[in-house]
Amino acid sequence: MQTRRHLQRLIAALALICWHSGSATGQAPASILVFAAADLGPPFKRIVPDYERQTNVKVTLVLGSTGTLTQQIRNGAPADVFFAANESYVQQLSAESLTLDQTRSLYARGQIVSVTLKSSALRVETLNDLAKAEVKHIAIANPTHAPYGLAAKQSLEAAGLWTAVANKLVYGENVQQAVQFVRSGSVEAGIVARSVADTPDLSWTLVDERLHAPLNQTAVVLARTKQPHASTDFITFVNGIQGRLVMRQFGFLLPGEF
Amino acid sequence: MDWFPVWLSLRVALLATLLTVIAGVPIAWFIGRRSFPGRDLVSAALLTPLVLPPTVLGYYLLMVIGARGPIGHTLNQWGIEFAFTWRAAVLAAAVGSFPLLIKTAQSGFESIDRRLEQAAQTLGHSDWSIFWNVSIPLAWRSILAGTVLAFCKALGDFGITLMVAGDIPGRTQTLPLAIYDHVQANQLDHANALSLLSVAIVVLLMLAFGRIARLRY
Amino acid sequence: MLKVSARKRVGDFTLDASWSSDHPIVALVGPSGSGKTLTLQCIAGLIAPDAGHIVSAGRVLFDAEAQINLRPQRRCVGYVFQGYALFPHMTVLQNVAFARPRTPRFGATTSATPPDRTVEIIERLGLTSLSARYPTDLSGGQQQRVALARALATDPDVLLLDEPLSALDAPLRRELCGELSQTLHDWGKIAVLVTHDLSEAYQIADTVVLYEHGQTTGAVAKNDLLWNPSSERVAKLIGARNILRAPIAEPPMDSIVLNWRGGRLEAARSPSHQLHATVGEMLAFFVRPEYVRLIRKNRPVTDGLRQTNLFRGEIVGERDEGTTWALFFRLDAPGTPSQGHYDLEIEIPKLVYERLNIPHDRHWEVSIHPGSIQVLPG
Repeated sequence: MQTRRHLQRLIAALALICWHSGSATGQAPASILVFAAADLGPPFKRIVPDYERQTNVKVTLVLGSTGTLTQQIRNGAPADVFFAANESYVQQLSAESLTLDQTRSLYARGQIVSVTLKSSALRVETLNDLAKAEVKHIAIANPTHAPYGLAAKQSLEAAGLWTAVANKLVYGENVQQAVQFVRSGSVEAGIVARSVADTPDLSWTLVDERLHAPLNQTAVVLARTKQPHASTDFITFVNGIQGRLVMRQFGFLLPGEF
Repeated sequence: MDWFPVWLSLRVALLATLLTVIAGVPIAWFIGRRSFPGRDLVSAALLTPLVLPPTVLGYYLLMVIGARGPIGHTLNQWGIEFAFTWRAAVLAAAVGSFPLLIKTAQSGFESIDRRLEQAAQTLGHSDWSIFWNVSIPLAWRSILAGTVLAFCKALGDFGITLMVAGDIPGRTQTLPLAIYDHVQANQLDHANALSLLSVAIVVLLMLAFGRIARLRY
Repeated sequence: MLKVSARKRVGDFTLDASWSSDHPIVALVGPSGSGKTLTLQCIAGLIAPDAGHIVSAGRVLFDAEAQINLRPQRRCVGYVFQGYALFPHMTVLQNVAFARPRTPRFGATTSATPPDRTVEIIERLGLTSLSARYPTDLSGGQQQRVALARALATDPDVLLLDEPLSALDAPLRRELCGELSQTLHDWGKIAVLVTHDLSEAYQIADTVVLYEHGQTTGAVAKNDLLWNPSSERVAKLIGARNILRAPIAEPPMDSIVLNWRGGRLEAARSPSHQLHATVGEMLAFFVRPEYVRLIRKNRPVTDGLRQTNLFRGEIVGERDEGTTWALFFRLDAPGTPSQGHYDLEIEIPKLVYERLNIPHDRHWEVSIHPGSIQVLPG
């Protein structure tokens, strides 16, 4: 019967934990959930705090591959705004009546770069260098659901390198994971978004944008949102003066400039 | 550092374990103690969560509880969100840890001398009474071991949770998801701290389990 | 009154038990695997027979044709399992109190045994000082008493005991045999005892049912079983040695005269068995080894009885059985010996074996007491 006493104590402790964490999940009055393509990680880490400060709206950011996020939205993920890395996924959601179409807007065009660790002796000046023997593995985002991965694949194909490098490729779930493979030294090189490669520890070379379909990054407010105004407002903010400034710093081409 | 994932994970793992135990112990007893046609098949089917890749399992779950799934759709009409909430995280963790509890508890029930349950029958006890007064007290060590295993698995679940609950900071981002995100964002010190914390929780739990398991009944 | 008729197939084995008894204690005796425990399980309702019917104290517990199969909880059958099956997580008191006695309405059960009744049973079986102990802290004999107390606490109509003494070592077993018999007779209702040990059955039970390969004899009073076995098969089952056959030499009168191995063998007639046999007909009989006498060579035979059934022969084999010796004796008569290489098994005390210098003296004359020859009905 000693067990019973122990059990009582255990249950009390567990109840306390449930209670405690239960009270921590209360939501702030005005808050929006933003699903954004992984290449937006670095710029949004700056834009979101600026926006929160100026509007008093809390923004929760979820990063992932555009395809994965689309799939989650389809299955009922409670996102308010979706910043995709291209146009086609937003079109799919629109066709399923999951978006507020009048809010749809092009906010940037992405660029891809080949990237290596600065600390390594390896230099990749052109895509052809990726075929070199020193490059044993190349990280790209998964082309089946990440637009930046698809762009990387298209570029390799257009450069006639696909068969030469196909068995060197390592897929990240999204572009952020792909660059992390390079950063950790697990792979020698990668083809990723310029925005995630622009850090002091990496050296990168722009890939000619004629080699792949344009990454026309599109944002839209989702139909299920309970915060249509704040959501629309956030897209406007990213497209506004402050947003454009940050986006440009991270190497995005902006609407009206390409 | 943001402590939310820690509390969320503890809560999700606890509720998932509770769910697993409530549903799993009677099932384990039934499989361990009764013979019925297709028993081995059912026993094997309950192990599928161990075999299927977590993301595939998560995908199937999402097909059911997602906004377009039969259950998710119905719940939505009643105004209940399920997919991509902490509730879905609980379900995900429960599904993943279910086989561990079932298998451990089942072997506990199977190792009880059958005559003890038969003796209780001849002493006039109903199946329900035998379950509570004989089977459970004699198999409690296995049930507890299964519960601890289930809790650890629930605490560490990644794939299924990611699929059905997403990775929404402050809402469904559990400890493993937070660690994953920190690694992705190259915040390795945060990732290390959270990993260490996960290990610490499990070690503490195991120590407690070791103490309790030494008790007699 | 307990009436059992049960047929049950389990794999290759088929139980076909049929017996009834209204004596207080009936023992089921037979080698292991002969279906004794299976019979208890059928009576208790733990296993359903394929066919048959079981009636206890006027209540039908099972009837295949009428589709009656009471659950074990409603049968009013107490069961002392082999190894006792005490609940290891309960104290002696809790084990006994766990039994749910029936209410006046047959079979329906109430909650736990009332405390005073539990205490009374524990007292009656001398367990009071042990009531706070757990089963693992008890000796085998104490465990057996707890199992008995727990089974009796349900106030059953029938008590089943599966090898209640086999878990104990020999001296304790002998001691508890008497105690168990006393407890069961005091209790007074029908008890069914399973054992593979005939002498144990003999000490405890009133009637005996013999089991062999799933087949049973009817219940037989224990004295009849040992001293007047009803057939050659029963004689084999109770372990009778020297089971022999010989033709009748003379028309049966007060005694039966057989022509065995060329000699005249006179057997006393059993009063209870009818014998309609004619001269020349083969009869089965057995000779108890301990009743065959070796005749001392240096002393003249004075006792008249000793002059009947005299046979000469040679000891062709022997076996040390501790306090006794078994000698294998071959008659000097021509022809093949009746039991392989010998005709008679003789049992003598070790003291006699030494006194008669058996190792060096192998040729003897023996006499068989007519009363020790048991003629078996055809």
